Amino acid sequence: MYIKEFEDAMKACRFCFMCRHLSAVGNVTFSESDTPRGRALLLDKVSMNPDFLRSEAVVSTMYKSDLSACCRFHCVSHYDENGLVLAARRDIVEAGAAPEKVKALAKELAKGAVFKVAGKKADTLYFTDKYTVKQPEISAAFKKIADAAKVPFMTISGGCLGKALKTLGFEAEAKKAAAAFAKAVTASGAKVLVVSNPAAYDAVKNDFPALGVKLKCKVMHTSEFIAEKLGKLKLRKPAKKTAEVYYLESDFLKNYNGNVAAPREVLEKCGFTLRPFGTNNEESYSAGEGACVLPELDPCLVKLLAERIASRCDDAKNDRLITASPYTRHALATEAKLNVKTIEEAVAALL
Amino acid sequence: MLPSTSNYMFEMIRSELADAVGAAYVDVREADRFAHSVDYYWIPEMWHDRNMPNPQADFIVHPGTAEEVSKVMKIANTYKIPVVPWGGGSGSQGGALPILGGIHLDTKRLNKVWKIDTTALTVTAGTGIIMRHLEWEVNKAGYSTMHLPASIACATVGGFLAHRGTGVLSTKWGKIEDMVMSLEVVLPTGEIINTLPIPRHASGPDLTMMFLGSEGTLGVITKVTMKIHPQPEARKFRAYLFKTFDDAMDAGASLMRSRLRPCAIRLYDEEETRHHVKRVFGLDDISGSYLVFGFDGYEKIVDLEMEEAMKIMKKYDVKDLGSKGGDMWWENKYKFFYPPYMFHMPQAFGTLDTVATFSDIKNVYRAMKKVVNENFPEARFIGHFSHWYEWGCMLYARFIFEQAPADPGEAAALYNRVWDLAIRAAIANGGVINEHHGVGLKLGRLMKELYGPAKPLILDKLKKELDPNNIMNPGKMGFGF
Repeated sequence: MYIKEFEDAMKACRFCFMCRHLSAVGNVTFSESDTPRGRALLLDKVSMNPDFLRSEAVVSTMYKSDLSACCRFHCVSHYDENGLVLAARRDIVEAGAAPEKVKALAKELAKGAVFKVAGKKADTLYFTDKYTVKQPEISAAFKKIADAAKVPFMTISGGCLGKALKTLGFEAEAKKAAAAFAKAVTASGAKVLVVSNPAAYDAVKNDFPALGVKLKCKVMHTSEFIAEKLGKLKLRKPAKKTAEVYYLESDFLKNYNGNVAAPREVLEKCGFTLRPFGTNNEESYSAGEGACVLPELDPCLVKLLAERIASRCDDAKNDRLITASPYTRHALATEAKLNVKTIEEAVAALL
Repeated sequence: MLPSTSNYMFEMIRSELADAVGAAYVDVREADRFAHSVDYYWIPEMWHDRNMPNPQADFIVHPGTAEEVSKVMKIANTYKIPVVPWGGGSGSQGGALPILGGIHLDTKRLNKVWKIDTTALTVTAGTGIIMRHLEWEVNKAGYSTMHLPASIACATVGGFLAHRGTGVLSTKWGKIEDMVMSLEVVLPTGEIINTLPIPRHASGPDLTMMFLGSEGTLGVITKVTMKIHPQPEARKFRAYLFKTFDDAMDAGASLMRSRLRPCAIRLYDEEETRHHVKRVFGLDDISGSYLVFGFDGYEKIVDLEMEEAMKIMKKYDVKDLGSKGGDMWWENKYKFFYPPYMFHMPQAFGTLDTVATFSDIKNVYRAMKKVVNENFPEARFIGHFSHWYEWGCMLYARFIFEQAPADPGEAAALYNRVWDLAIRAAIANGGVINEHHGVGLKLGRLMKELYGPAKPLILDKLKKELDPNNIMNPGKMGFGF
C-alpha cells in the first residue's frame, strides 16, 4: 500500500492535535475526521485492516480533504499528512474503490489531456489552464504585461497536465498527461514556461520529476515573471482608494513551494499596501486550491470554505482581495461574491 | 441504553436530534464516530494501536446555539441517553470519551466571538471556539487573553474551562479561572442560566467557580466572558543552569516570595534537563537543572524586575545562560509537544500533574519519584515545575515506559497502577489529584480519597440534584453511572 510510504506521518499525526486549528475543512464541517489527526487515525486503522480502505468512511473522508498542506508547513517536523492522503487516494484507486463520480471525472480529465501551442515562435510560453480560460481577464492581463515588457510569447492550452489526476489518485493517467504536456512544451522550443495557476506551477516543479517526466524548460509563476520584468514596466501608482489590498496566499506557492515572499514583494513594489487578511497568515484562504477539483467533487464544501473566508474579511462587500490563484479567484467570486482579482490583473490595471 | 441502529427507535431519536440542531449537524457516519473515539488519553491511543475497537458514540451532534444544546439535553433526558461534551478532544484524562455510547456533543460550532469590549477589556465568545482562533481574534483588536497553553491550537475555550486549564504565562496572568468574568451554562435538564456578570462580589457563593472544572458532568458551558489585556511592550526571558534541582527550586521559590511578578517560570529536574531539554533545544553540553523565567509589561519595569530577579539567582551556584538561553525556551515552548519530541507508542507515558505549597512541593516530588522508581524500575520519571504561585507551584511529572505490555488489559492495569500509587503519594504529602489536566475517566476513582466526606456530602449531592438522570458525562470525575 502506498500509505506505508508515509508511515512516519501516519504514526506521528494519528495522535497529534497540534495543527487542528489550520484544518480548513475541519473548520467548516466541525468533524474530527476532517482534521489531519482524524485522517491519519483512519489510515492507521487501514494499515492494520486493509479492507477498511474500501469503507465509505475512509473513501469519502480522503476525497473531502482540501490538501492545503497548511499542516505540513506549520508542523515543527513537517510531517507530510498531505502526502499520506494522496497516497491513500492512490490506494483507493488501485483497489477499485474510488467513487463513481471520481472515476468519471478522472476519465474526463485524462481524455482532455491534449495540448496545443499557438502563436509565433518565441522563448516564452504561457499556459492557459482551465481556470485561466474560465476567467479570460487573467490571460488578457498577462498579455498586457508581457506586451509592455516586450516579451513575445506563445500560448499552450489544453486540459489537465496531470495535477488534478494525481490529486485524485490516478498516478498512471497523471503521468501520461504530464508527458503529453512536456512533449508539447518541448516541441514548442520555449525556454521559459509561465503559468498563472499555482497548481500547474507545482505540477511542473514537483510532480513531473516525481512522475519521471522530464521538462528542461524553466517554469515561472506569473508573480515571478512580473517580479523579473518590473523594471521594464511603466506603472502608475494605484489610486489612493484602491491601494489598500489584502493578499491571499496560494497553498501551492506557500505550503508546497515555500514561496511566500515573491507575490507580496511584487504587490508592494507596485505601490499596493498589503493589509493582513483575517486574523492570521497560517490558515488556508484558498477555498480548496490544493484539491484542484473540489468544486466538481463537493461544491457545497467549496461554498462553505469560501463563506468562511468571506467571514474573515474586515468588510466583505468592499475589501479588495488579491490572490495568486485563478482557482481561488473563481471560488471566492462565485461562491462568496467577493471582490477578488489575481496579481496579473492588479498589475495590468496600473499600465 | 440506546436501541441498535437497525431499530426504528434509533431513527426516531436521530430525527428528533436533527429537528433540534439541523440534519447536517447530526452525524452517524463511521468516520466521525471513529475519529471521536480516541482523544489524547493514553488508554484509547494504546487500544487503537493494538487494533482494538474503542467505544464510540451513537450520534455526533454539533449544536450551534445554547438553545440547541438545551433541546439536545431535553431529548437525552427523555430517552436517558448519555451526553458527552467534546471540544477539541485534546484532553489527556479521557474526560471526553463516550464510554457508554450515546450523544457526543461536539461544541465546535459554538465558535462565535460575540463582543470585544475595549472599555472593560473583556471578550465574550462561544466556548466551542479553538483557543488559538480566539487569541488571534483578540490579537487583531490589539489585545491578548494571555492564555497561551501548549494545547492552544487544539483545545477549545470550553475545554480549558471544563478542566481549569493553565497557560504558559499563568504565573503572572493566572489560570483560566482567574481570567473568567462569567459563564452561560446549559444545565443537564436543559435550562439555560448565566452566572453573575462579574467575578468578585459578596452575593452568595460563586456559581462560576462551581461549573469551572466540572468536566461536562454538571452541564455544558456555552458562552464565556473573559478578561483581555493590552499586548505587553516587552517580554524578556533569562535562563540558568543549576547544579542541583534543590537549589533551582529554592531559587524559584525565592523569586516568588520576593513578590516580583514573573510571567513564567519553568524549572526542569536533572533528568528532564538531561534528556528532553537537551533534545528539543539541540544542546550538547547541558546537565543539572534548567530554570527559565521571564517578565512582561512596560520595558522599563521589565528590565527592573529582571535586574532584581538576577540578584536572587546570583545567590546560588549557577551558570547564567543569559537571555539567549531564555529566549530559546520561549521560542521552542510548544516544540516539546510535537512529534517526534512528544512521547509516543510503543512507550507508555503519563503526566502526573499536581500542585502543592513551597513547604510541600519538594516532598511531593520526591515521594512521587520514589514510588515510581521503586515499584516500576523499568519506568523513567522526569519532572518540571511550570506554573508558579505566591505560595507554591505545579509539578508536571511524567513517567515513561519504553515498551508497554503487548496485552491491552495488562498495559491498562500497569498504567492505572502507576497513577494509583503516584497520586496517592502526592495526596499524602500535601498535593492534589491535578493542577490543570482534570480528572476525567483516568482519575475519577481517586476523587473520594482527595475530598474525603466532602465528596458524598457535597459533590455527589450537587451532581444528583443538577443531573437527576445522570445523563451528563456519566462515569467521569468519580461520579459513576
